[in-house]
Amino acid sequence: MQSEDLAKALAPVLGDRVLGVEPFAKTAGRVRFRADAALDVFHAVKETLGFHHLSMVGGIDWVTHREVFYVAWSDALRQYILLSTDIPAEAPHIESATPVWPAANWHERETWELVDITFDHHPDLRHLLLPDGYTFHPLLRSFKLHEPEELEVKKRSV
Amino acid sequence: MSAPPTTVPPKVAPGTAESFKLEGELPMVDKPAVPFVEIETVRAQEFIPAAKEALSALIAEQGQNKVIRPAFNWAGRNSLFPLHWGLACCAIEFASAFSARWDSERFGIVPRSSPRQCDLMIVNGTVTWKVAHKLITLYEQMPEPKWVIAMGNCATGGGPFRTAYSVVPGVDKLVPVDVYIAGCPPRPEAMIDGILRLEELIRARKE
Amino acid sequence: MWINMGPQHPMTHGLWNLRVKIDGEVILDCDPEMGYLHRGIEKISEDRHYNEVVTLMDRTCYVAGLAWEHLYILAAEDALHIVPPERAEYIRTMCEEFQRIGSHLMWYSAFVQDIGLMTPFLYGMRDRDLVLDLFQSYSGARMTYEYMRVGGVRNDMPPGFTDHARRALDWLSDRFVEYDRLCLGSDIFRKRCDGLGVLKANDCVATGVTGPMLRSAGMKRDLRRDRPYSVYAQLEFDVAVADAADVTARYLVRMEEMRQSIRIIRQVLDWLDRHPGPVLADRLPRWLGAPYAPVGKEEYVLKRNYPKGVGLSSIEEPHGEAQAYVVNEGGEHPYRVKFRSPVFANISAARHYLIGYRVADIPPIMGSVDVCVGEVDR
Repeated sequence: MQSEDLAKALAPVLGDRVLGVEPFAKTAGRVRFRADAALDVFHAVKETLGFHHLSMVGGIDWVTHREVFYVAWSDALRQYILLSTDIPAEAPHIESATPVWPAANWHERETWELVDITFDHHPDLRHLLLPDGYTFHPLLRSFKLHEPEELEVKKRSV
Repeated sequence: MSAPPTTVPPKVAPGTAESFKLEGELPMVDKPAVPFVEIETVRAQEFIPAAKEALSALIAEQGQNKVIRPAFNWAGRNSLFPLHWGLACCAIEFASAFSARWDSERFGIVPRSSPRQCDLMIVNGTVTWKVAHKLITLYEQMPEPKWVIAMGNCATGGGPFRTAYSVVPGVDKLVPVDVYIAGCPPRPEAMIDGILRLEELIRARKE
Repeated sequence: MWINMGPQHPMTHGLWNLRVKIDGEVILDCDPEMGYLHRGIEKISEDRHYNEVVTLMDRTCYVAGLAWEHLYILAAEDALHIVPPERAEYIRTMCEEFQRIGSHLMWYSAFVQDIGLMTPFLYGMRDRDLVLDLFQSYSGARMTYEYMRVGGVRNDMPPGFTDHARRALDWLSDRFVEYDRLCLGSDIFRKRCDGLGVLKANDCVATGVTGPMLRSAGMKRDLRRDRPYSVYAQLEFDVAVADAADVTARYLVRMEEMRQSIRIIRQVLDWLDRHPGPVLADRLPRWLGAPYAPVGKEEYVLKRNYPKGVGLSSIEEPHGEAQAYVVNEGGEHPYRVKFRSPVFANISAARHYLIGYRVADIPPIMGSVDVCVGEVDR
């Protein structure tokens, strides 16, 4: 399936909730959609187009805004599809994909703690990789890495 | 069941059929049928004075530092039991060292899964802040005398991840380290060499 | 009652914590707790040159380093618009298949030891060292290779390598009878593994489980065949599947995959013998890391002319479907690198294949998942 076929297949189901379909390296295409219609898009992509396997959810911090992307796989088409949406950097949130793809659970937990994107109605949104109580989000561009501070070395007393 | 006698040993011999009352509750439910403390006390009363006498005679004869400590040192350094746990990449080489090709067990190095049976902690991988307090707990659970080997660059100083937000830049910030092994990851030979160096260190302690 | 199995537990094979809620011996609920090995690889990658990220890839999945290098390199080459020579692609494919054998043998050694058989550990590690020696002969390292480069691989095979490799394959292909006799012929193995940890194909797809776990449920999805990357389209092999979806079925699938890997490697070795050639692309941008480009052939690209691009690659790693997403915003460092780890998804479905079994079944079941914590936590 090429991106034109994808656009044709999606247009009657989703209408203007899809902002554009563009070709994307070695996949069926990249679908840009409106963030407030996320659940409809997920449903349509899974049920209408048959992308049953969600393989990845990730976030990118573009400083001015943030991008959430989803990669799904269809066994019938043997192709990937990339869904992406832009959300504002202030109070970034989007509807969780877990009702449609249960596989999104841990991916969204990870994206929440690393890129600071809140997934509404997520069943279990808590820290996964970082310890409980961490407040920073390391994959934001504002978070800089630095050489470790000098810490005291423990010496054996005897 | 009536309370067991507290001062005299019970009349019913333990382990025989009479010692278990089949009707009613089992003897071990609340308290032991035969007070263990009592048995231990009786045995200890016989054993400890005799042992004390023999030991003090031996020490008086040969001197403490010449007999007990070298024997303890020799036994300890030739049977170092490392804690069986895998942090990261080095854990795979740690496991390789116990395979048929290197066979670390010929040096008396046998991994044990419980920290209470170990006297050596090999930190084989990157230590993150999330696991730091668990590492310290494991270290504290090990009986004295105990040693720590920092295996690989990550445990030594953070390695390629030293700038990361979640990585402890060297395990010597958490527990005292005796031997550092360089390498990313060190080969199994290097790990065995590190343990043999530790044996030399222990020998040099002379206690 | 909730109990912790981990982070230091012989079952875990790494640093993670399985919290299980039990009633007597029966598992009522479970909650894997990850992150004890979270090293921030995705963040560090934003601070590294493209070729330096390869170093981190070896450490991401330390039992399948070359497969993860291949994964990252495929995405990075897409993002940077660089095409490697064909010989390099064949060498990478060979590396990945050898790595699959190495990873499965490591899994075999660790898993079978868990359920009480000590001899297979010694046999598996012995044969794994054979594979590692081959890696060592051309990359110089046993586990962390840093062998692949954007635009090719670092160096060609040493002379006589293909003969060495064929001899190793001959030895390996005879060993499977031995493995099967040790495991499938053992009552302990069959009693501890048959019918445990069942996860049907529908649940696998819903929860994102891939790899040998999915194929053991009868679903024939293998990215090497379904979405051929690298040179897999030119190679002949079968996809290993089983029906029972339990621990024994996963064992059978992995054993068959190793046989198929041997078949693939033999074809690649024949090709490599017939087609000598360069293993690194001729025209590499200087900023990509001049030391690795052939002297005098670097192409100088002005800073403002950096090409932008995005790369998404997906490979069938020994544990399952792995993905890399590399965003190149025209700098010396990748703007964002995101990885999809197959074990990450396989563990996240733990509730679906652990609940209802007994505590003593946890080591075989979690062993059959083949957990590599490095790639889960990254």
